[in-house]
Amino acid sequence: MSGSPPLPERLADGLRDAFARLVDWTRKTLRVARWETSRTADVFDRKTAGAALLAATLVGLFSVAALSTGGAGVALDENIYRVGIAPDSPYYDAVEESQPLAVHPPDESALRDGEIDALVSGNEIEHADSDRSRAAAAATRSAVQTYNDRRMLSEENRTAAYPVVVEIRYATRGDVSTRRGTSGESESAASTDSTADGASSASDSESSSAGSSDQQSGDGAAVADTGDDDSDGALAVPDIGGGGALFGGQSSGSPADIAPPFPFGSLVLAFAFLVPVNFVIQSYGSTMLNERINRRGELLLVAPLSPTSIVAGKTLPYALAILGVTTLIAVLVGGGPLSVAAVFPLALAYLAATFVGAMFARSFKELTFVTVALSVFITTYAFVPAIFTDVTPIALISPLTLVVRDLQGAAVSAGEYAFATGSFYFGSGVLFLLGVGVYREEDLFTQRAVPLKFLDALDSRLSGKRSVALLSALFIPFVFVAELLTVAVLFALPIQLSLPLLLASIAAVEEFAKSIHVYAGFAKNRFERSVSTAVVLGTFSAVGFFVGEKATAIIQLVDLPELALGEAAFATSGIPEVGATGALGLLFAPLLLHVVTASLTAIGASKNRLLYAASLVVAVAVHTFYNLAVVVAVA
Amino acid sequence: MLRSEKTIVLALLIQLFIAAFSSFLVVGLVSLYDPGSAEGYEVDVGVSGEARYELVYAAHSVSGAQPILFDTERAAQQAFDRRQVDAILHTDRRDGRIHVTATVPDENVRTTVTVTQVRDTLRELERRERFERSESLSTPPLELPDAPASSPYHGFTYTALIPLLLFLPVFISGSLVVDSVTEEFERGTLELLRVAPLSLTDIVDGKLLAAAGLAPAQAALWLVVLSVNGTAIFAPLRLLALVAAMAVLAAGLGVFVSLVTAERRTAQLLYSLGVLLAFAGATLSPVSPTNVVARLAIGSADAAVTLVVVGYVALAVVAYGGVRAAVGRVDATSV
Repeated sequence: MSGSPPLPERLADGLRDAFARLVDWTRKTLRVARWETSRTADVFDRKTAGAALLAATLVGLFSVAALSTGGAGVALDENIYRVGIAPDSPYYDAVEESQPLAVHPPDESALRDGEIDALVSGNEIEHADSDRSRAAAAATRSAVQTYNDRRMLSEENRTAAYPVVVEIRYATRGDVSTRRGTSGESESAASTDSTADGASSASDSESSSAGSSDQQSGDGAAVADTGDDDSDGALAVPDIGGGGALFGGQSSGSPADIAPPFPFGSLVLAFAFLVPVNFVIQSYGSTMLNERINRRGELLLVAPLSPTSIVAGKTLPYALAILGVTTLIAVLVGGGPLSVAAVFPLALAYLAATFVGAMFARSFKELTFVTVALSVFITTYAFVPAIFTDVTPIALISPLTLVVRDLQGAAVSAGEYAFATGSFYFGSGVLFLLGVGVYREEDLFTQRAVPLKFLDALDSRLSGKRSVALLSALFIPFVFVAELLTVAVLFALPIQLSLPLLLASIAAVEEFAKSIHVYAGFAKNRFERSVSTAVVLGTFSAVGFFVGEKATAIIQLVDLPELALGEAAFATSGIPEVGATGALGLLFAPLLLHVVTASLTAIGASKNRLLYAASLVVAVAVHTFYNLAVVVAVA
Repeated sequence: MLRSEKTIVLALLIQLFIAAFSSFLVVGLVSLYDPGSAEGYEVDVGVSGEARYELVYAAHSVSGAQPILFDTERAAQQAFDRRQVDAILHTDRRDGRIHVTATVPDENVRTTVTVTQVRDTLRELERRERFERSESLSTPPLELPDAPASSPYHGFTYTALIPLLLFLPVFISGSLVVDSVTEEFERGTLELLRVAPLSLTDIVDGKLLAAAGLAPAQAALWLVVLSVNGTAIFAPLRLLALVAAMAVLAAGLGVFVSLVTAERRTAQLLYSLGVLLAFAGATLSPVSPTNVVARLAIGSADAAVTLVVVGYVALAVVAYGGVRAAVGRVDATSV
């Protein structure tokens, strides 16, 4: 005790200490993981494992069979429309071969009575005045078209059968170059457009052709891509069987083969990654909830183990299982390490959400609902944007988009990976943190309503007033996910309608995230119920949120703001793109707004639930009004 | 009581969410693929090259495509760069064929719409050209009959959305049975049977029927909601009978695997796989329940479809009897 040792020594000691603790923690975690694995192996005896494997293999075989017959085997729409047609009609074969159409005798009165939906007479399709009848007529027409296409396949005279050959090119009309081109051309365009004389326009066209040859490399990829999609498309749509192969060496084909950019095949494969995850989380949820039944988890709790190592140990085998299955699937479907790296954060989110669900649920039934709700939500969140992979940059909010791109052979930058998976990594971390907070005796073995557990979990993360700010910042990933989801849902609507809706929902999400833990703190009597405390807490929450929100600056790294909606959603978060004069004001205005609204809700929260709800509504209204004002001002 | 009601409300919300999302998805996709369904959307197509007049005629008969004639490819290219046209089709006659180079902008949602219009225009051109050369063909193509404009969502509503809404409660009800039976085992509450005036059969029976009864109730609710929303539903009674039969089958499977494994993890896994397997198998078979639902709801069912429904009901009754017999042979206190 004679004076403290020099700084380097203390530092080394601290490091050694931390390292030793880490080793200890890891060892304990691994022990729990081993125990969990062996227990699971006991439960799944050979017979059940065999039955499960057999069933899984059969289901897989069925889906492969269904897909390989081009969906023809899955007769969802078989014979849903009844068409009256005479056997001597030239269209008879077309209608007979068509899957959704059922052949019926031609009869005018049957059409009137609704016994049949459409009637082919001569070259006309008669139909009744009903939706079904019109749909039946349209289906008949497309059946004839398909029939024509199919018959052409067996024609000897290829030139006559396929008189039109198409090659499709995807070209970018770059903003900058086009704008320059237009301004440079404006004087020459009027006079030279039709005659195309003059040096300036010649050089202009040269530059534009250079531009297009520049894209040629990209074009080549695009053409190859559509080729891929064709074969994938043939999997799904039995439009005109075969496609490319039947055209021999031709690189381009009949107009019927043009497939709009839609990564169907890759999407189905991407979905294959999610299916096993759903099974694993079901088991995971069971084992977590099992600990809580009949106080079974008590033994682990009293063992010299920290809750984190218990939870990490119990989670590890399942995370590894998912990783293994994902790798296997990636190998099977031809995905690279990127696919695995993209699916893993998604799987973590599933596990984290299931863990929290198992901590909150009171019975298996409740857990089933929680699991179903979560997996539906995460699956749609991951899957729906991925459909638009080739269409809009907003698709990048989902890690599955990365998988689709990987399967298509397209490159993904590190920034894009971070953008797509970042909120999943952070979000899972926060969820685990919340769940571990209630991994203690008084919460594990008691029956409480889910909302109360939720408040408990939030409250367990609060210590002093400052922790309010931390929690606000931690909520950012969820706010982010919710906002992106709203953008994704609303981007299909016209902007006049979607913009106000978007601003209002963003305000609601943010106000909720800023206030719910403050409410939890008050409800658990952690804070003194006074207006001054409420204002202090509100301010802390607002500052935490504001600082965390700056993280959304990452948005600017990828080109999401290209979307008009994306701009509206994130411009209001205080990254001004306006002139320098307004910049400072725009930077502090959001902070002020957050402080005002958060204090408002905190005051409401300090009274009771009803007032909290009321103050939340007021805060959302204020926030929406502010957002609208900013958008109008920026525009 | 309130607790179980909350569970039902949650179940309904989940299903509503799924239905809303899949409808949103389809509406979005269909409007991408069928721009005619989006009001007043036109794609301007620049046309140039040797066969430009043929192409213009073809484009005129395609709704949503507006052809603009250019004398040279360069003029068309310039108009494309200036965003005056959405796509260029440059034509070229070689070896008795028309070679078309289609240039479309690599942009965003509009690309899909544009490509679809380009395809429709070119298919129309192909059709016309085939007619001109029909004497060189062994079987001349059939003339395309006219058809009225119809909602592109019509088929989807009946073949996908309604089966989804009707079968989802079925799957969930089976899962619920697994939960509530295995929970009795795990909590050891079946011990109480020794002193209770109830047999295991009574208890399992109650659980099975309660869960299986929930599914038709939810299905009925969906049918009412859809009808109110303007979707005509035919044969609601046969639909509900089918759903009830399916629910009994699913719940029966749930009871069976729960009794065999007595543990939730394994039981749920086996149940999910079993239901998937049964459903996939049934869908691939000629008596696909999905197709039966579609044909019943759309109103084009014949006697054979009704017979299939009767068959499923009979199967459910037999399965129910089988499960009861199996439960009767299990000694509740031994598990």
